[in-house]
Amino acid sequence: MPGLLAKERIVAPPDFNRWLVPPAALAIHLSIGMAYGFSVFWLPLSRAVGITQPVPCPADMSFWQRLFATTCDWKISTLGIMYSLFFLFLGSSAAVFGRWVEREGPRKAGFVAACCWGGGLLISALGVYLHQILLLWIGSGVIGGCGLGLGYISPVSTLIKWFPDRRGMATGMAIMGFGGGAMIGSPLADILMRHYASATSVGVWQTFVTLGVIYFVAMMCGAFGYRIPPPGWQPAGWTPPAPAQQAMITTRHVHVQRAWKTPQFWLLFTVLCMNVSAGIGVIGMASPMLQEVFGGKLIGVAGVLKDLTPVQRAQVATIGAGFAALLSLFNIAGRIGWASLSDVIGRKRTYFVFFTLGILLYSFAPTAGRIGSVPLFVGIFCFILTMYGGGFATIPAYIADLFGTRFVGAIHGRILLAWSTAGILGPQLVNNIREYRISHGVPPAEAYNTIMYILAGLLVVGFFANLAVRPVNERYYMTDAELAQP
Amino acid sequence: MTKSRASDWTLVAVAWTLVGIPLAWGIYRTLQSAIVLFK
Repeated sequence: MPGLLAKERIVAPPDFNRWLVPPAALAIHLSIGMAYGFSVFWLPLSRAVGITQPVPCPADMSFWQRLFATTCDWKISTLGIMYSLFFLFLGSSAAVFGRWVEREGPRKAGFVAACCWGGGLLISALGVYLHQILLLWIGSGVIGGCGLGLGYISPVSTLIKWFPDRRGMATGMAIMGFGGGAMIGSPLADILMRHYASATSVGVWQTFVTLGVIYFVAMMCGAFGYRIPPPGWQPAGWTPPAPAQQAMITTRHVHVQRAWKTPQFWLLFTVLCMNVSAGIGVIGMASPMLQEVFGGKLIGVAGVLKDLTPVQRAQVATIGAGFAALLSLFNIAGRIGWASLSDVIGRKRTYFVFFTLGILLYSFAPTAGRIGSVPLFVGIFCFILTMYGGGFATIPAYIADLFGTRFVGAIHGRILLAWSTAGILGPQLVNNIREYRISHGVPPAEAYNTIMYILAGLLVVGFFANLAVRPVNERYYMTDAELAQP
Repeated sequence: MTKSRASDWTLVAVAWTLVGIPLAWGIYRTLQSAIVLFK
């Protein structure tokens, strides 16, 4: 009798309703998607010792001493390292454990992801309670980051096998959850922190414990909701398209160990990396960019941001935060929208649209800023964010089309290293160029123009990488003997 | 290739409601933050 988590245990009966699988995937992705919303903890954690105000560490205290100090507060920049750890360990664990996920099945992967993400939050709670930043980094960043990677790829292969007729839509639904997780998690964390806050605590460790338990339960429900289709299963009334009609969709399979030797792997890696780098660059600077480009115009008064009163600046900051919120909505809408559309127009054409429109929109954004049109400026970035989300959601189906479905989860895991690369490349590029331009006397409002043109340049690279994608060469496909092996 | 049972569709509705309610709440809260842009 196979174990409770074994792949053999979750083979669905022939009359199983495949529409039960996407909610299971969503339960996991909505939980791990909270990683995007972790910044909600930075301000309260920056006064975890002082409670009402941050207690700065002595100036002569070394970096290592600060790591273990319990009498002074953490800087927001120190806390922000968590995001780098998320990106790094998400991509690395997806790449390293992708094949294991494929072999052991989605239930075991979801189970381990729940333990890592929920358990990581509990370790972080201990870190906040003892005021040890290393425990926070190890708990949520390293262990939780591995949970992100495993949870992210856990449903991909299963969904593609359940929805061979709508691969894009199926993975788009799950990956939409990753984009939407922070929408639930951030306000929930805010409510919980206010509930737990007292004269002696900012309420963060208690919030971590509560969220850890909630996410663990939700992810377990998802993991135990996963079912894999029985061998030879196909949707009722659906017949696979003939290979000649769909040259870009293979019916064969490439082994994960061979996939990275194909040019297609590196082309898709570049496509994802460039699309994400440009998008992450925009997300990170969206709020300050709107405020600095339009300044007082956002609240109907004249003057640039530095000329405004503190009250006016607070009003402008609220609008900036609203802009960031609006972008996150378009990000998740793009995930399901573009991925579904890719089922109709094809994956290569979808990325062709992303890169062509992206280049035009990024290049036109500075003009929209110069002519002072807030609606046009906001509209451009909302549309850009749909394509950022769409890029994430469409890539699993693109991989399945080119490399087959046998190792799609494992190959997707390896290609997600592009995300880790972009997570470092995008923000670094944007921040360094902005600081360089401002240090050379360029007004803050205009410093963004060069950034936009450079981000458009990244999309040009992605455009040509996508254009070069062709079906995989025959010699890379698995033989019948290889396919017969378990 | 067999058709799904009717009882499964009830389960599908329950499962989607369970994930849909928190997602809808999150979208509502986000819209509340974003609305300042249009005031």
